[in-house]
Amino acid sequence: MKDFIVIAYLVYLPVVILLTFYVAHSLFRNSLVYMKDIFNGRDEIAVATNTLFRIGFYLLNLGFGLYILEITGHLETPQAAIEALSVKIGGFSIYLGIMLFLNMYLFFRGKKIAKQRRISAPFITETNLPRT
Amino acid sequence: MNYNIPAYIIYAAITIYIIYWVGRLFHKNGRVFILRIFLGHAAQADATNNIILTAYYLFNTGYAIVQFSNWQAVQNLQMLIASIAGKTGILVGILAVTHYFNMLLVYILSKRVLHYSS
Repeated sequence: MKDFIVIAYLVYLPVVILLTFYVAHSLFRNSLVYMKDIFNGRDEIAVATNTLFRIGFYLLNLGFGLYILEITGHLETPQAAIEALSVKIGGFSIYLGIMLFLNMYLFFRGKKIAKQRRISAPFITETNLPRT
Repeated sequence: MNYNIPAYIIYAAITIYIIYWVGRLFHKNGRVFILRIFLGHAAQADATNNIILTAYYLFNTGYAIVQFSNWQAVQNLQMLIASIAGKTGILVGILAVTHYFNMLLVYILSKRVLHYSS
């Protein structure tokens, strides 16, 4: 009896890791623009926040991907292996899409709050700067 | 044939590398926020940052090592991969949840500090 589970794992792992890296790369390269807008041109804090969100994204998604890796039962034919893989990879991809939209929602919300604060800023003169 | 010891070695290597890498990145990027909370006192901020980093290393390596004690018996290659991935997934998931919680905490704290100091 030949078992395809190890082959399925070896296909699944690179796909998950590369997918996460690609999505994170394309999301957080573009989100830097929003961050600079939110933090009003303070570049240091914008880059730091962007990096922290990126690490959180990696951790959450790689963790979830690794956690759902285990395939229970036997995979005796290539067909069964492909079907099991399709469920895992398709499900992970949908999950990644939801996470992407969640992150984008956070960015847009931050942008809205920053905009409101900027509109009311003339009335609260000089409060947002830390005293040195 | 029992694969437990190779599983422990691979797991320890992966986990320690992840913990070290993530901790270094947080240490580097979180400094700005702590500096902001401490209102620009660089010495206090750096000291706090270093203490937090040490505590983080202790907690996470401790958790990773405790996992050895309740590991299932690993009989073949597929169980080796599955058990390592499962344990690593849980550890990384805990790191992610803690990280988002910390970002929320920094946000709330910085809002409070800036509110009271103005």
